[in-house]
Amino acid sequence: MTAPGAPPQPRPDVDTAGWWRATAEGTLAICRCVDCGVWQHPPLERCRHCGGALSYEAVAGTGALHSFIVVHQPVAPGYLDQLPYVVGLIELDEQEALRIPARVVGSAPEDLRIGDRMTAEVIALPGGDYHVAVFHRS
Amino acid sequence: MELHQPAIVGIGRTNYTRSSGRTPLAMAAEAVRGALADAGLMSTDVDGITCFQAGDSASALSVAYAIGCEDVGWCPDISGGGNVVISVVANARAIVATGNSKTVVVNRSLNGRSRHRFGHATERFEVGGEMQFAAPHGYLVPPQWLAMWARRHQHVYGSTCEDLGQIAITQRQHASANEHAVARQPITMDDYLAPRWINEPFRLYDCCLEVDGAAAIVITTLERARHLAKPPVVIRGFAESHAQGGSWEQWPDLTAMYSARAAPKLWQRTGFSARDVDVACMYDCFTYTVMATMEDYGFCPKGEAGPYFGEGRATYGGDVVVNPHGGLLSEGYIHGMNHHFEAVLQLRGEAGVRQVDGAEIALVTGGAGPFGGGTVYTVDT
Repeated sequence: MTAPGAPPQPRPDVDTAGWWRATAEGTLAICRCVDCGVWQHPPLERCRHCGGALSYEAVAGTGALHSFIVVHQPVAPGYLDQLPYVVGLIELDEQEALRIPARVVGSAPEDLRIGDRMTAEVIALPGGDYHVAVFHRS
Repeated sequence: MELHQPAIVGIGRTNYTRSSGRTPLAMAAEAVRGALADAGLMSTDVDGITCFQAGDSASALSVAYAIGCEDVGWCPDISGGGNVVISVVANARAIVATGNSKTVVVNRSLNGRSRHRFGHATERFEVGGEMQFAAPHGYLVPPQWLAMWARRHQHVYGSTCEDLGQIAITQRQHASANEHAVARQPITMDDYLAPRWINEPFRLYDCCLEVDGAAAIVITTLERARHLAKPPVVIRGFAESHAQGGSWEQWPDLTAMYSARAAPKLWQRTGFSARDVDVACMYDCFTYTVMATMEDYGFCPKGEAGPYFGEGRATYGGDVVVNPHGGLLSEGYIHGMNHHFEAVLQLRGEAGVRQVDGAEIALVTGGAGPFGGGTVYTVDT
């Protein structure tokens, strides 16, 4: 059961379940084509470039801060007592423009700069059965 | 197959308010009846009706029923928001051009303020699809996505919050002369900078003004339009670009939008360029959308939209008047349908105290990020 006030919870489907299985084991994994090798996110059943099979493959969990915002206005339950918080767009090292949005923790917003090196840490998502990768400065 | 040249012959709308106390269907019917009356047409003339919807809306079929149409040849609802406010008119134009329908109504109605507002969930919820990855991080609404893009533009081009402020200030100044606008009090740069952050780097006045209301336009053939009540506004051409499957994260360059791809197509198809445009109704869900798309459509080089507004080039006496009605930022968020309305008003010369002198060519855009388009309207020459 999820307590009221928990952050939004994912609703996995057959294409995305692998992402959540990986984070449950403490790993950030992204879809990659077994034929052409291209990483892609969000997940699909088949590669959008060549139609090949996709499988979840662990990434290093490192990248660069491509952009970020400081959220002051509450929009989602679960974060109402944490305002303001930082969401960054992290460009992963595996491939150009392979980006995921994620919470950036451990730094004051004014200390963050675009281009900062980032490292993932998988933590439990409050209120449910899922884990998410947040990032902090390397 | 013979093709007809389509034109806009009627426009209608309700009042825009913070709390309508009415259903979207009631407002849509009022706007559509108004547009038909404006054109000198009757409900029984309508043989095509369409709208788009995201959240609160009235279906095309229900609007047709509400105004007394019994035999509608075409009535699709398009799923989407500002990204399809150009698509719905493009579709209607094609239906008229090919002779499938003779009189088509396009409308949008929403209680955008009093009922459905983005980002106001208070209870636990689950998110599926591609948003399931971002939502658990508290990242799930447009004022966050666009702020993320704006920060990147600031990093790459050195644009500033004050540059965004110039856009908000200019449009509010325009709205001050528009009795239909919901927010009419002019603002200064101090006023722009004073309010709380929404999502840094966005403040309050970077975000559009959610309101309740409806707007509608009527499209028919130009040859028929010339015998109706008002001067026709000719639909010259469209171009759209949609990519990324709805994702806001993988777009290659956050300092440019769909318009970097759509604008060259639009100018090539119509034979016009940004220099020719008298009135630009730029989709303005946020100030940054105006900044990026103005640059993409070629009104100024990348990174120079802020000074372009600051130097008065986007207002009366400048290069082009951008959102003379105040836009979604100040007139109100009728999801971009009010941009079509304003363009027609200006090209007819019916805009009263905010009339753009000699307005003959208007650009209307819709959408932001990786999805949207633009259309060019002109007077009948």
